[in-house]
Amino acid sequence: MTLLLEQMLNGLQFGVMLFLLAAGLTLVFGVMGLINLAHSSLYMIGAFGAAWAGSRGVAFPLALLAGAGSAALTGLVIEVVVLKRLYARDHMDQVLATFGMILFFNEAMAMLFGRQPLMAAVPGFLSGSVELIPRVPYPIYRLAIIAVGIAVAGLLYYLISHTRAGMLVRAGATHREMVRALGVDIGLLTSGVFALGAALAGLAGAMTGPLLSVQVGMGDRILITTFVVIVVGGIGSVRGALAGSLLVGMVDTLARAFLPGVLKSVMVATEADAIGAGLSSMAIFILMAAVLLIRPRGLFPSHG
Amino acid sequence: MTVLLEVRGLVRRFGGLIAANNLSFDVVEGELHALIGPNGAGKSTAIGLISGEQRPDAGRVRFDGADVTALPIAARVKAGMTRSFQITSVLPDFTALENVALVYQVRAGHSFRFWRPAAGERALLEPAGAMLARIGLGGRADVPARDLAHGEQRQLELAMALATGAKLLLLDEPMAGLGTAESQAMTDILAGLKGHTTILLVEHDMDAVFALADRITVLVYGQAIASGTPKAIRGDPAVRDAYLGEDA
Amino acid sequence: MAKGFAVRREQVLGVAGLLLALVLPNLAVALGKPDLVTLGTQIAIYAIGAVSLDLLIGYTGLSSFGHAAFFGLGGYTVGILAFHAAGEPMFGVIPGATEAWIVWPLAIGVAGVAALAIGALSLRTEGVSFIMITLAFAEMFFFLFVSLKTYGGDDGLGFRRRNGLPGVAPRDDVAFYYVCVAALAAVLFGFSRLVGSRFGRVLQGIRQNPRRMGAIGLSTYPYKLAAFSIAGAGAGLAGALHANLLRFVSPDMLHWTMSGDFMIMVVLGGTGTLFGPVIGAAVMVLLQSWLAQWTEHWMIVMGPVLVLVVLFARRGILGLLR
Repeated sequence: MTLLLEQMLNGLQFGVMLFLLAAGLTLVFGVMGLINLAHSSLYMIGAFGAAWAGSRGVAFPLALLAGAGSAALTGLVIEVVVLKRLYARDHMDQVLATFGMILFFNEAMAMLFGRQPLMAAVPGFLSGSVELIPRVPYPIYRLAIIAVGIAVAGLLYYLISHTRAGMLVRAGATHREMVRALGVDIGLLTSGVFALGAALAGLAGAMTGPLLSVQVGMGDRILITTFVVIVVGGIGSVRGALAGSLLVGMVDTLARAFLPGVLKSVMVATEADAIGAGLSSMAIFILMAAVLLIRPRGLFPSHG
Repeated sequence: MTVLLEVRGLVRRFGGLIAANNLSFDVVEGELHALIGPNGAGKSTAIGLISGEQRPDAGRVRFDGADVTALPIAARVKAGMTRSFQITSVLPDFTALENVALVYQVRAGHSFRFWRPAAGERALLEPAGAMLARIGLGGRADVPARDLAHGEQRQLELAMALATGAKLLLLDEPMAGLGTAESQAMTDILAGLKGHTTILLVEHDMDAVFALADRITVLVYGQAIASGTPKAIRGDPAVRDAYLGEDA
Repeated sequence: MAKGFAVRREQVLGVAGLLLALVLPNLAVALGKPDLVTLGTQIAIYAIGAVSLDLLIGYTGLSSFGHAAFFGLGGYTVGILAFHAAGEPMFGVIPGATEAWIVWPLAIGVAGVAALAIGALSLRTEGVSFIMITLAFAEMFFFLFVSLKTYGGDDGLGFRRRNGLPGVAPRDDVAFYYVCVAALAAVLFGFSRLVGSRFGRVLQGIRQNPRRMGAIGLSTYPYKLAAFSIAGAGAGLAGALHANLLRFVSPDMLHWTMSGDFMIMVVLGGTGTLFGPVIGAAVMVLLQSWLAQWTEHWMIVMGPVLVLVVLFARRGILGLLR
């Protein structure tokens, strides 16, 4: 029971991380109609930025800021230089161009920092554990990630539903042409949305640093998981991204934690380990297949 | 007089907007029936609901004696109705002849034939050529559709609709974007079809509508406020109110 | 007229390419560069995968980002059957196999059936969702093979000999090269028939205007699904040949960047053309081996090149030639 609670917290923490990535990706798609694979590069740049700043003795909160900031800056540059030209293109072009960017950024990071993983330390004031539930010590750092995620979700909710920019974002997601026709400076809006999404991706990368190793290509795998989140949640919808993130984070974590054990009760241990490992890494894709069968447009489709 | 198309109580909401509000009307076999109304009255939605591209929230569509409300688009085409689009909608990379030949191919049954070149199939090309000649595009058969003039593209679209062998054509603004001469040509073509094929026509060009239509249904806010001959519609106070009130 | 001219030019290109392919081994000897044969084999194999992907991207308008899954499944069919032929039968009942006439059709079949299943789900959506879903399902197969420790997991699975073909010595690289070129020629011929057939007409109609195809009474789903499955089968053949070339299979074959590479080959060469993907595969393989001689960081060049191609040369190399 206590193990289950602990794993559910882990699932929540992973889900929060996915949300930071999915929110930006789905907003950019909703407003600009762009599918941006290089979102994974922004995540990686955020991680490297924070780890590098940390290694120079910069205080942890500032290092996080450095990570998010470097991602936002990179995002702005690629938006203005390349991506703006792609908004009106078909998705195939967008995929290829942003795939090319991934190749570039991966190699650039390898040249700057080498292929050896960097390690980022958990900052002193967030190290250690607390007993949130009696006799279940849980790392403070992971709790902090969850808190940041909840804060970001709240902030996004406020931005989207209570500000003028948010109103434009909502309108842009459903009537892109109309917003353009009304003479809104769509260029400023797209750059703003893109930078915000990039900053969130960078923040996610920066916070991941102390949990996993910071290395070239670290964003590619989680990008695909983020795609699963978006398909499950419904593309273009921030609410869907939140629901999808939590669901996918939970399913993935719980499957990895418990599936091998469950299988062991019905078959030989060695086989159970092998099959369990395979099945648990496939769990989120099976979830996606199930959602596709029942609701092809995701749990919270954004239009109609 | 047999009723070919029977629309009863169709409702379709888009969020807070009601695009079809208890919409009911009949199209009689052989007639050219026009659907008119101010912008945003729900004319295109009505076509979408009848052709099966959209599903109604309530109401029924009966066609040729059978309830087709739940049928997918392809099945409705097989049953004998087809639509054209407001925005010109042809296959731009294919020639005019290939466009129409493809319709005959689809009509001939499944297309799971992987080996024999379709380009030489006379069983498809001959009726396609004849259809183009009938619609006035005989001389343009080998021109890629993207290179046809706008009016010719609209004619091609009509040829494709006719080639399905439909008993009922749902034409969504076939004159949209046409010049005066082209509009007149299209009016003549439609006049030539009268009596052979039943047509439900959505159109903004009122000259064309009143010249062509046997009967007219007027839509306002998703509801049919009047149905009758052009003469009756002209004199209908509710219609005058809707149109003139709108213009004022 | 212009169209007829373009077609003729493409035919000339095809004949020239075929001649070059036939004399390549002699050329390699003459130039003293035996590696050319391996490069040529690699190009022919990737070309088969790219041509089959072009059936989806260029002819049907389906941007599949999961082609590597079928490439990998074809490869693993070869590897796994070889593994069981050398040891115990699979699950104690299914014997292994090493004869090409058994193994290759099986590889094609496995990939085709997998594509049927993935396609059945993915084709319920379209556009961006379709791209993401095909990518995700391919990743699922990647994880599957990573976790199959019996077949080497991460490290992959090697085997000793190529699949036996009557009259072909298993160690003869030149003979294997010709086998791959013949396979490519067969695929090209088959696909040229396919795209001109009734089926091909329907696919091209779907690419140009799916809504219109619905309005003339066609249900597009079964045709898209058939195309998806045929393309998957083509990638399966490519994968089987690739496994034979290296006598080794690994999850790298299913890595998502492999799917991206296939897409690049198609776009680089020219979508919706028969020979375009072949040219794309050749350019990709040659560029890689050339850039790799200069710098290990060749991706830093390749990435921006790709961006530029998309922005300014979207019609591909064959498109520029026209």
